[in-house]
Amino acid sequence: MLLDELKSAQAQAEQDIVAAQSMKEINEIRGKVFGKSGILTSLSRGMRDVAPEERPKVGALINEVRTALEAALEDKQTQLEQAELNLKLESEQIDITEPAQGKCKGALHPIPSVIDRLCDICVELGFSVVEGPEVESDYYNFEAMNIPKNHPSRDMQDTFFINDNILLRSQTSAVQAREMEVKKPPFKIICPGKTYRNDSDSTHSPVFHQLEGLVIDENVSMADLKSMLTIIMKRLYGDDTVIRFRPSFFPFTEPSIEVDVSCPTCHGKGCSLCKGTGMLELLGAGIVNPKVLEMSGIDSKKYRGFAFGFGLDRTAMILNSIGNIKYLYKNDKRFLEQMK
Amino acid sequence: MKVTYNWLKEMVDINVSPEELAKKLTSAGMEVEEIIYQNEHLHHVVVGKILKIEKHPQADRLVVCQVDIGSEVVQIITAATNVFEGTLVPVSLEGADLCNGIKISKTKMRGVDSCGMFCSGEELGIDENYMEGAGVHGILILPNELKPGTPIDKALMLDDVVFDIGITPNRADCMSVIGIAREVCALLGRELKKLNLSYDIDVYAKDTIWDYVNVDVKTPNCYRYMASAVTNVKIERSPLWMRARLNAVGVKPINTMVDITNYVLIECGQPMHAFDQANIGGQKIIVRQGKEGESIDVLNHNTYNLDESVMVIADAERPMVIAGVIGGTDSCITDQTKTCVFESAVFDLKSIRLTSRKYGVRTDSSARYAKGVNVANAELGMSRALHLVSKLKCGKVVRGRIDIASKENKTRHITGNVSTINDILGVTIASQDMVRILNSLGIVTKCYGNKLECDVPPYREDIENDYDLAEEVIRMYGYDVYDRLGYNLFEHATITEGQHHPRLWLERKFRNALVQDGYFENVSYTLVSGDINQKLLLNEEENKLVRIANPIGEEISCMRTSLAHSLLQNIAYNLSLGNKDLRFFECGRTYKAKSLPLEELPIEKNMLGIVVYENGYNFFNLKAAVENVLNMTSCEAKIERSNKPFLHPGISADYKCGEEVVASFGKVHPVVCKNYDLPENIFYAEINTEFLAELPVKKYSVNAISKFPIVDRDLAVVVDECVTCGELLESIKSSCGKLYYDASLFDVYRSESLGQNKKSMAFNIKLSDLEKTLTDEDVAVVMKKVLKALEYKFGASLR
Repeated sequence: MLLDELKSAQAQAEQDIVAAQSMKEINEIRGKVFGKSGILTSLSRGMRDVAPEERPKVGALINEVRTALEAALEDKQTQLEQAELNLKLESEQIDITEPAQGKCKGALHPIPSVIDRLCDICVELGFSVVEGPEVESDYYNFEAMNIPKNHPSRDMQDTFFINDNILLRSQTSAVQAREMEVKKPPFKIICPGKTYRNDSDSTHSPVFHQLEGLVIDENVSMADLKSMLTIIMKRLYGDDTVIRFRPSFFPFTEPSIEVDVSCPTCHGKGCSLCKGTGMLELLGAGIVNPKVLEMSGIDSKKYRGFAFGFGLDRTAMILNSIGNIKYLYKNDKRFLEQMK
Repeated sequence: MKVTYNWLKEMVDINVSPEELAKKLTSAGMEVEEIIYQNEHLHHVVVGKILKIEKHPQADRLVVCQVDIGSEVVQIITAATNVFEGTLVPVSLEGADLCNGIKISKTKMRGVDSCGMFCSGEELGIDENYMEGAGVHGILILPNELKPGTPIDKALMLDDVVFDIGITPNRADCMSVIGIAREVCALLGRELKKLNLSYDIDVYAKDTIWDYVNVDVKTPNCYRYMASAVTNVKIERSPLWMRARLNAVGVKPINTMVDITNYVLIECGQPMHAFDQANIGGQKIIVRQGKEGESIDVLNHNTYNLDESVMVIADAERPMVIAGVIGGTDSCITDQTKTCVFESAVFDLKSIRLTSRKYGVRTDSSARYAKGVNVANAELGMSRALHLVSKLKCGKVVRGRIDIASKENKTRHITGNVSTINDILGVTIASQDMVRILNSLGIVTKCYGNKLECDVPPYREDIENDYDLAEEVIRMYGYDVYDRLGYNLFEHATITEGQHHPRLWLERKFRNALVQDGYFENVSYTLVSGDINQKLLLNEEENKLVRIANPIGEEISCMRTSLAHSLLQNIAYNLSLGNKDLRFFECGRTYKAKSLPLEELPIEKNMLGIVVYENGYNFFNLKAAVENVLNMTSCEAKIERSNKPFLHPGISADYKCGEEVVASFGKVHPVVCKNYDLPENIFYAEINTEFLAELPVKKYSVNAISKFPIVDRDLAVVVDECVTCGELLESIKSSCGKLYYDASLFDVYRSESLGQNKKSMAFNIKLSDLEKTLTDEDVAVVMKKVLKALEYKFGASLR
């Protein structure tokens, strides 16, 4: 009798739980089942009428039903809470494509940026970063670089002159002699900076930037120059970069070379940047002319050196796919913003 | 330097294609910048003979021609009026692609078939100088001896390949066909064929050179002067082969004598001059420096005043030629010339360079002299010129030759070292390979063990030591040897310690911080216009301008004395483009002369400039930017009003570290804004990065942190307008003593009820004690002390 009631109460309660749609209904069911006048409570009271030998069994059954119903209620409650939370979260959804807020960051200019990068690369390789004057004496810019006055080599550059002895440096090589006069070999230096030439057209700017590298040591050779430049170019343009030497002429190096670097855009396959050749003419370099060493007070019998130099405007343009050199000096915000 | 494939073939047996030759030359340092195929636009153009001309049935102005083109007779319709039956003309056939862009195909003209077109000289890319009739308006009438069907490039000798080669300044000897030919010999392992230098002389003739001219060299700038005479001169068009050569390398053919001098110039690199002997006054050539007051009319239609710095070739009376640069009109070859005197000379390169620059005249001749012509070359040039006279049968060479030389170029002997050369190159090249290469270049070399004994020919003045020999060896051996070499960074190089540049490193920190705060980095021209100081209201005496003597334009003629100029211009430029919200900065130098005219190098100072034009941006935003930068250094700076002329006097400040101004910042002066066409609310700051980089690195020392709570109190006082926030905060701090934790201004309020010239300032004061929790009484005591001090020092009253 009691057992039947218990069973039907359980069935009824389970049905109610399944049908419940809100916490309120859950609480009502809880009251109806477990409350002071709840079914289970009254059924427990009915234990008195059960034969004593049956009591443990019936008691266990009632407890079983209680546990099952409590669990069912708990489950349903969790389910409903979850559904409610989901609903709330859903209603709070925003348009994530609306713009970010707060002060947006600015950007570094591509030229100083590439200087930062090259300084990091070269300092790691044992180079010290130095600077020199931009308004320079004819001596350091030319004569100490084995370019005497009225020498044909002067034709290689259109120079801005202040007067007969003072000019705007036409090459960062001007720093070489200054450093050789004060530094004791062996040493490695790089000098990034502004340079000037009386030249202005679609591919030339009268103000531009170069980086000069100089290594003075006892036994360095063209092969060491190749090693050093290979590493610097790999770090700059990527690990698959290769370099190639071609003969050239600079008064301050002998032998002198031009260095071609595999095109970082097409990786040597040929593209519009490298005009289909797969290589870009990027650096001038060579073994320091012993006359230059001697002029700066370095014993050319004991020491040898190599030097290299290249344009940073071009480097910045290649690394950032900048098509027009004029963009670099106009400071149009629409250009600068693209460097973010 | 332009040379042609056929011209080179005359001196070397070349068994490679023009493309391959170009590649080899480039790989050896003679960079072929362009290969020009003369006949690129001459294919499908042949010699045709007009057999028959009939009227076009439908058009009055057209005629129908039957033309023999060798293989067949074709019909061509033309509107040309200068053609007749029997004349030979260039015929472009289907497939032709002429230099003026015309492409030929078979067409019908007014219903009649036409297989092609007759060509004018212009359509073949030639002019009257090249060929008679090529300049006329109409069809080019070809010489009768040509055979119909001959391709026109063969018929007119327009089938050569031209190389445009970049010659480096150390290789003046390669500014000639023979110079390039020597390189080709070395590259291909061939012998240079001897140039034909023979010429006919009438040994029975009585007259000698001295009957026509005498030479006196009176200046040390002339190293060698040779003169020869030619009588019975025939001034006429040179033969086609000579015109073809000159035309190919871009020299205008003129007449026999002038063409010979130009031919020798290109072929041997020896500038020559031809005088009309009849116009040499006193039959005397005097090589001397010019005199003040003298002048000369020259071939470029100018008249130049001479002076002592200019070397001239004069006769007994007047200068005839500016030596090595340009000839005068009085003594040049004309159609009437009967006797010609050739000059083959060598001059000091500096003298020629200075003169060429002085007058702004650059000729083929001056270009060669300015790079250096070796003394031995004069003889080669002269003999070659006389040979050409004989070959062209355009005159009789007179016996005897004047040759006055003050210098000579001899073969020099140097000793090289095989292992030193290999050490320089970092590769191992066998001594026999070195010997082979050097010999192929005309440097006669023998190897004794490690020693290379070299005889360097006069034209290779650039070869002096092992480094020079190393270059010759490797450029011929091939730089591709390095392609096969791996890299081994410290095989020979000593390991050295790399150091960043202290200022660049500090700037990098500043720049990155500014970028995080929304600023964009600028890089501007350091070259500015000469009115920079006026525009910025800067004192000229303290900002002496470094001015360029040869500027490109006034806008970029001086070095900037302030970064403000560049940055204000950048703002103006951006505003003109419609760009808004501009926060810019730039790290760069300013340049100020110590004295004028400039005698020593100017002072170059590195600065960081910041400029802002942005809605709502104010002085205190800028102050934050400046302080954030200064806080990255150990600089302890005090704020003062600034007296920078380009800043608003009331809205600007300096941070000073001792006597040094480390930063100036504020609103830009309204007059300056006007000078740059800018609106008024522009803010500018400049920071002395050079000074900051020299300060010791910032050190930190952390104070103990109390474990007891911080007490907050607000205090508002009314003070006179002239009292500053800084003064009040300093007083508050000192009154709080060791309980002081922080104090800050949070409001400034002005109203009529406060009274005129009064303001209320509200501060938030934070107190803390390391030892205990502060009681209300403790705090009250301090706050009373704070207020008392403010009342006493600043007449403040509690609001």
